Amino acid sequence: MNKLPNIFVGIFVIFGSAWLGLVNYPLKNLGNLQPVPDEATGGVLPPTVSGLAVAGHKVYAANGCVECHSQQVRFAPLTTDIDKELGKRQTVARDYLREKTAFPGILRVGQDLSNYGARAGEDINAIHRHLYEPRSVNPWSNMPSYCFLYNVVKIQGQPSNEAVTGLTGPCAPKPGYEVVPTEKAKALVAYLLSLNQSYPLPESPVATAK
Amino acid sequence: MSNDLSNQPDILTAAERAQIDSSTSGAALLFFGSSAFWLVFASLFDVIGAIQLSYPCFLDGISFLTYGRVVQTATTVMAYGFATPAAIGIAVWLTARLCKVPLSHHRMLVSAGIVWNLGILVGACSILAGNSTSFALLSFPAFATPILFVSYALIAIWVLFTFNERKSGGLFVSAWFVFAAVLAFPWLFGTANALLVWNPVSAPAQPAIALWFSSGFFNLWLVPVGLAAAFYIIPKSTGLPVASSNLSLLGFWTLLLFGAWTGGAQIIGGPVPAWITSAGVAASIMMIVPALALGLNFHLTLDGHYAPVAWSPALRFIVTGIGCLVTYWILVAINSIPGVNAMTQFSDINRALYYLGHFGFFAMTAFGAIYYIVPRLTGHEWPCAKFISLHYWLAVTGFGFIVSGLILGGLIQGSALSQTIITFRSSVEFAWPFRVFAMLGSLLILASAVNFALLLIGILLETHKNQAPAFMAEREENSQEPVAV
Repeated sequence: MNKLPNIFVGIFVIFGSAWLGLVNYPLKNLGNLQPVPDEATGGVLPPTVSGLAVAGHKVYAANGCVECHSQQVRFAPLTTDIDKELGKRQTVARDYLREKTAFPGILRVGQDLSNYGARAGEDINAIHRHLYEPRSVNPWSNMPSYCFLYNVVKIQGQPSNEAVTGLTGPCAPKPGYEVVPTEKAKALVAYLLSLNQSYPLPESPVATAK
Repeated sequence: MSNDLSNQPDILTAAERAQIDSSTSGAALLFFGSSAFWLVFASLFDVIGAIQLSYPCFLDGISFLTYGRVVQTATTVMAYGFATPAAIGIAVWLTARLCKVPLSHHRMLVSAGIVWNLGILVGACSILAGNSTSFALLSFPAFATPILFVSYALIAIWVLFTFNERKSGGLFVSAWFVFAAVLAFPWLFGTANALLVWNPVSAPAQPAIALWFSSGFFNLWLVPVGLAAAFYIIPKSTGLPVASSNLSLLGFWTLLLFGAWTGGAQIIGGPVPAWITSAGVAASIMMIVPALALGLNFHLTLDGHYAPVAWSPALRFIVTGIGCLVTYWILVAINSIPGVNAMTQFSDINRALYYLGHFGFFAMTAFGAIYYIVPRLTGHEWPCAKFISLHYWLAVTGFGFIVSGLILGGLIQGSALSQTIITFRSSVEFAWPFRVFAMLGSLLILASAVNFALLLIGILLETHKNQAPAFMAEREENSQEPVAV
């Protein structure tokens, strides 16, 4: 007796149902999410990001940053993410609209980055210093150095106003030399600064009372 | 017992077996040989990554050896360079044996194997060069994966063609698993590449699809092939029938049914619809059913006849693999309980589970199958039993170190990550000694991979004219167990 067609139908139905639920449903529902209008500024939420940040997103992907950094704030009270100030509200699917690829991540070998832009402040030089030599900022850090995104060049006349300053110890450039970020490093910093979910969304409002 | 699910693999004469085996030998040896090469390659990158995690100054500041790229190369090459070709080699050989027909279109399979390896080479180089997509198990860029897909299509067509040509008779349970796996792989790989890599869909839809793929890649592709090998080789090398065809059936259907849905449990509380995570949690907990059904079935088959596990390399590796699979599913079930998961979700426990499943189960089972199959393809035995025993102990200690280290470290790290009063810095410092311990495990795994590759080179080059099968221990003289055929 040949029952192979029956097995085939069984397998097809089982795979098909999971495919409908986990592929087709997200595709039809989450895939069509649109930004919501922002009444305060007349713009949209999540805000659109600069072209430089889009380029930085590619640098983030190329160097496998997602292997250590998550980009998702889970909901309270099940988790303590909001208490630990990773963000003010839960990350929802619509937050990823700003990006070409969603990087929710599965490990926190390093810090969660969903609101890095909100934490980092305005000091771009400090971010470059961190990327160039993480242990010059946090001696305990096990983050790799991204010094290959920087050029060490001889100072010609006036020092470059883009040069990374404040580098000390073994990673400091020799006298007469300076560390200048490449386009990729500048894009990566722009991308990191664009990671900011402090705006409210209808499905995930920012908790006000605390 | 129904005719459709026989409990004995096949009844073939020695001459028929030899004819079928020799017809598959070129293609199967190509897949096994290349998988051994990529295993060494992936293990080497795994070691580099493990050292960098604890000693970040190691090979630091070199673009193509930055931690993220190294780890993605290790996991992706492990999945597509080692695991998938090993699975294809096993599936091809099993299909010919189970369908009782010699291999036809031999050249098509060999070409597919060569194309596949070119695809892996292109993919691995492009991850290192900075073209990774950064999706788990889908890091190969858009120009590398079509090569793999074309190669796989040739293989799948051949397998389905052979199923169609098979000689009449009951379908042994291994055939079910091979059939399901061969259908699942293109479905998973095609969908995921089309939607995430070739022409990416809108980012909010991506996490659910990526998790559907990564859990399906293990549960619906690697697991069924590993189980097919176990269901074939355990009865073959002991002469005992599979204990219960009902348990086989239960294990088969529950594996497919729940295995396809487990992905959502990895993103509890995350940016996907809540029902997807609930379904994932339910499915992950229900994986206890196939774990127990399959584990019990193998145990009942071997009950009272465990003696050959001591001397048969194939049995020892496969029984270890099955043990790891049952443990893996039980740990996955525990880890997916939302209260537990809130603490463990982003910890090293995820990495421990990865090693337990992909290495503890799949690689060990594949090694066992290769130890069983290759002497039948080459016509001579493994050169050195001591070397096989060394391979076994290096591998077991290696993943034992990794899994135990990362689970213990992960519990402490996860608890630090989830407690409000503990700083992030502490979670890094608490995890450090356990990561060093796991790093030693990675080194042992690299040693075991080199050991395995040398054995394979030894048997292919026929360095030792060994006529007697390589047994890992003295067989008892009064043993009732028949010699493996």
